[in-house]
Amino acid sequence: MKVWQFSEQAYHPAFEVPGAMRVNLPSHHCDPVEAGALINRYLDEYMLADQLGYNIMINEHHAAATCMSTSCMTTLAILARQTQNARLLALGIPIANRSNPVRVAEEIAMVDAISGGRLEVGLVKGAAYEVFMSNRLPNRFVDRFWETHDLILAALTNRGDNFSWDSENFHYRVVSLWPRPIQDPHPPIWMTASSANSAAPHAKLDYNCATFLSGAVARSVFDGYRKSYSEAHGRLPSDDKLAYLAIVSVADDRKKAFERAEEMKSYFTTAARLDPQFRNPAGFNPWQVNVKMAQAGPFAIRPRLRDGSPLPSDPTIEQYIDAGLMFVGTPDDVFKQIAQFYSDVGGFGNLLMMGQAGTLSHEDTVENLTLFSKEVMPRLKELSAEGPEVRYEAFA
Amino acid sequence: MSKVPSLEDYLKDAKTLELDGVSLEYFVKGEGPALLYLHGMDGVEGSAALIDILAQKFTVYAPSHPGFGASDLPRHFSTVDDLSYFYLDLMEHLDLNDVTLVGFSFGGWVAAEILVKDGSRFSNAVLGAPLGLRTANRREQIVTDIFMLDRKDAEERMQFKSPALTDVSELSEEELGRKARNAEALTLYGWSPYLYNPKLEQRLHRIKVSTLVLWGEEDRIAPTTYGDGFVTGIKNASFETIPSCGHRIYTDSPEAAADRITKFKNAAAS
Repeated sequence: MKVWQFSEQAYHPAFEVPGAMRVNLPSHHCDPVEAGALINRYLDEYMLADQLGYNIMINEHHAAATCMSTSCMTTLAILARQTQNARLLALGIPIANRSNPVRVAEEIAMVDAISGGRLEVGLVKGAAYEVFMSNRLPNRFVDRFWETHDLILAALTNRGDNFSWDSENFHYRVVSLWPRPIQDPHPPIWMTASSANSAAPHAKLDYNCATFLSGAVARSVFDGYRKSYSEAHGRLPSDDKLAYLAIVSVADDRKKAFERAEEMKSYFTTAARLDPQFRNPAGFNPWQVNVKMAQAGPFAIRPRLRDGSPLPSDPTIEQYIDAGLMFVGTPDDVFKQIAQFYSDVGGFGNLLMMGQAGTLSHEDTVENLTLFSKEVMPRLKELSAEGPEVRYEAFA
Repeated sequence: MSKVPSLEDYLKDAKTLELDGVSLEYFVKGEGPALLYLHGMDGVEGSAALIDILAQKFTVYAPSHPGFGASDLPRHFSTVDDLSYFYLDLMEHLDLNDVTLVGFSFGGWVAAEILVKDGSRFSNAVLGAPLGLRTANRREQIVTDIFMLDRKDAEERMQFKSPALTDVSELSEEELGRKARNAEALTLYGWSPYLYNPKLEQRLHRIKVSTLVLWGEEDRIAPTTYGDGFVTGIKNASFETIPSCGHRIYTDSPEAAADRITKFKNAAAS
């Protein structure tokens, strides 16, 4: 099991401001000196994670107090030089919101070169509300996602003459990456999924597949991936292809771990603070999907507790643990929770660990990362050693 | 006041024709001179009351724009240009002449785009609170950006009358589907630039038919001053307002709108 440290790098002082945390929160609520200090703090934690044997995951959002990383590649450009061993994962770049895919490929190549070939690249559709900042058309978003993907991959993998490109949204006279990526044919590509169907294209392309904070849904995502992978490649994928993202709080005593988890819970409560008109702009999802969503009601997309009931709107830490969104407690508790989840979902090879979330302080984050790396990370090898082959022979 | 039928009953009269690879939903109602009615953001069903009144004096042809209602949205359709060329083909297909062209809001934009291309089949035009000219200038937002408003705010700003806000859970699957398609199509045609074509302003001089620009005095989406651009740009244009009327003229004042349209047609004919 590879473990990846991840923080959304919140500007948490703004959590006190009433109302939305995204899209329409004015930036006068941001003290840029404090923001700079916080970003440096989060970078320090990433550098510690590198020393402790973690890999590193970075994301991006726009116009959000919940995430100050506005460009995966800008953040990773720093860490490419300041870390030694960690694999560096951008998860991800919201490519259908980007107006210049060749620029995206250039940044990927540059960071891969600086890091000595340690970059991993998530190409994601991203959250629906991001179109209000990018102003890219919500409609035909998935078509544009793949059009952009095709151009980025063409640019990264080109080893012949320079080429020109013309497609529905993009027109280039000459595409030529200087530098080009070290990893051949390209850095590993990741994508995200939240259902069996949405995992299928990733499996066919042999890309890594991650699912975020989805609890029991991870099972259907991973099953769907394995099934599609087997059909496309004639063999089962290794666990390395699959990733699950959860919040982790570990401490020597359970009480302290729960106290930290309460701080980290503010990730969930602030991420949800978004005005309703930005959640699902018309056109972003096909109209048939919007009809189904309207009919199903708001609780249909809530994560589920183990008994099948929807996670309540303000859950307790115990309920977050039960739903598989948080792993909290002593090292032994946390190992057991991860092992249980691993078994529930049929195995996965990457734990995307929010070792910092919400208002969790630097000191608590350092302790959390350090203790996990010493007491839990080594034991996770036991999980990957079992392998999912027996459970999944039906697909082979 | 005219009685508005249920959506289900209303759609029983819908017809379908195939043109340019589009299965087009449309209504033909009434008798008299031909009138092409181009609906606003809320689909043809939103204009049911006005269409029925107009049908007392005109033969009203009222299509659902491709992508709205039950009309197909071909993959290659993405701009109001596509709609306007499609409607010119429709006029040829139906072989209509001396047509009164009426469009409200988004449909008024479509009407203007048709007329700058080819006005030869039209005798006169009524643009009701049309969009299509510059909706913002640098930091100034001229036309309210409804994509930034929640559903309730947007509905309330749209009309002078209090809107009937139905809970989505009370809507039939067909009604939900039409609302979802209308919203999706509006986004496609109007997301960016926001509900306008930067090229329209310098093309308005090509509109030769006598044109009435009609505005609700209480329009809180596009202010009455926004109409000046159309009156200035179109050579033969006049401007009238309707009191106690918001952006949805066809919802707030269907009788007054029908009256202005009929009088304008009669004046143009005499």
